[in-house]
Amino acid sequence: MGFLTVLKKMKQKEKEMRILMLGLDNAGKTTILKRFNGEPIDTISPTLGFNIKTLEHRGFTLNLWDVGGQKSLRSYWRNYFECTDGLIWVVDSADKRRLEDCRAELHVLLQEERLAGATLLVFANKQDLPGACTPEELKEILELDQIRTHHWQIAKCSAVTGENLLKGMDWLIDDIAARIFTLD
Amino acid sequence: MSVVREKRETIPRPLPLVEASKNITPEDVLRLTKITDTYLCDPDANIYDIDFTRFKIRDLESGAVLFEIAKPVPENVDENSEKNQENDEPIDPNSGRFVRYQFTPQFLKLKTVGATVEFTVGGKPVNRFRMIERHFFRDKLLKTFDFEFGFCIPYSRNTCEHIYEFPVLPPDLVNEMIASPFETRSDSFYFVDDSLIMHNKADYAYNGGMST
Repeated sequence: MGFLTVLKKMKQKEKEMRILMLGLDNAGKTTILKRFNGEPIDTISPTLGFNIKTLEHRGFTLNLWDVGGQKSLRSYWRNYFECTDGLIWVVDSADKRRLEDCRAELHVLLQEERLAGATLLVFANKQDLPGACTPEELKEILELDQIRTHHWQIAKCSAVTGENLLKGMDWLIDDIAARIFTLD
Repeated sequence: MSVVREKRETIPRPLPLVEASKNITPEDVLRLTKITDTYLCDPDANIYDIDFTRFKIRDLESGAVLFEIAKPVPENVDENSEKNQENDEPIDPNSGRFVRYQFTPQFLKLKTVGATVEFTVGGKPVNRFRMIERHFFRDKLLKTFDFEFGFCIPYSRNTCEHIYEFPVLPPDLVNEMIASPFETRSDSFYFVDDSLIMHNKADYAYNGGMST
């Protein structure tokens, strides 16, 4: 029995998923996390470290990690890659000035060996703002079609209105579950 | 529904410091069958300046915050505080390691609860930071939390919320817990690279709002 098989079996028993949420600062990672867990979102300050939530969802134990996105913190992201099953890349769809930066950071991440097995969900956040890029536009700007190494999807959402958050998360969970838990 | 009667009392308990005879490991504390009599490490063991700055408990069903204590951020510290401190009792090295919670009986009827801790880290990076929390009523283990935060960024402020289904307790046990204030207790152990660096204690009453 190979190491991966053992790992799969261990995770299967616990039905645990580790989901890492990254993106540039001010993309809305913490707001998504709080909104998803029914917390007020009126007083959110920049994350200077991490925010973790562990919860039960659809019979799975989800460990959601939101790590601060400021430039000075990005070199620490690597410390959180280990054992990640799902990667959520959060984009401020209205911050057009920084989309190139956003594209570059995402593609650096996807080369990371320790994230090789992770499913990628790109959240096109802030769809409630006027002038927000559509997911189709973002797909192009962020060069998502070039991704061959990961299962991926882009989903529009708004952390403020809650639009599509659950649907996006459920796609991610389904994809991870299909990869990890259905073998035997 | 009010589940909290009093927010918090910090009671400096005269617990003796442990004789630092051996290294305490995660396996050691996971084997404990009751609350420890002493603190299993010295306050000085916290060489990473890890500081707990907030504890919060909320009810997921109503969204209500049931309990919250937060340390004031340093900028807001009253400039007179130094002066005030001189008049205070000598500082107990164990104060701040113990929290007393007083709830009403309704607390034990909650279904889904979120417990948040917020902590700051000093200038050194922290590796493999792990929390193990053991909750007992008398000698009965009610719940164990075992969670690895892993790496913590120097000078970071971090939060962790565990959202969990409240354990279903038999009614007679619930009644006993209500009738026996502060016999429900917890030990929180914090490890870095498998060495114990912090040990905090709490106790709980569930008879708040009941006249005696």
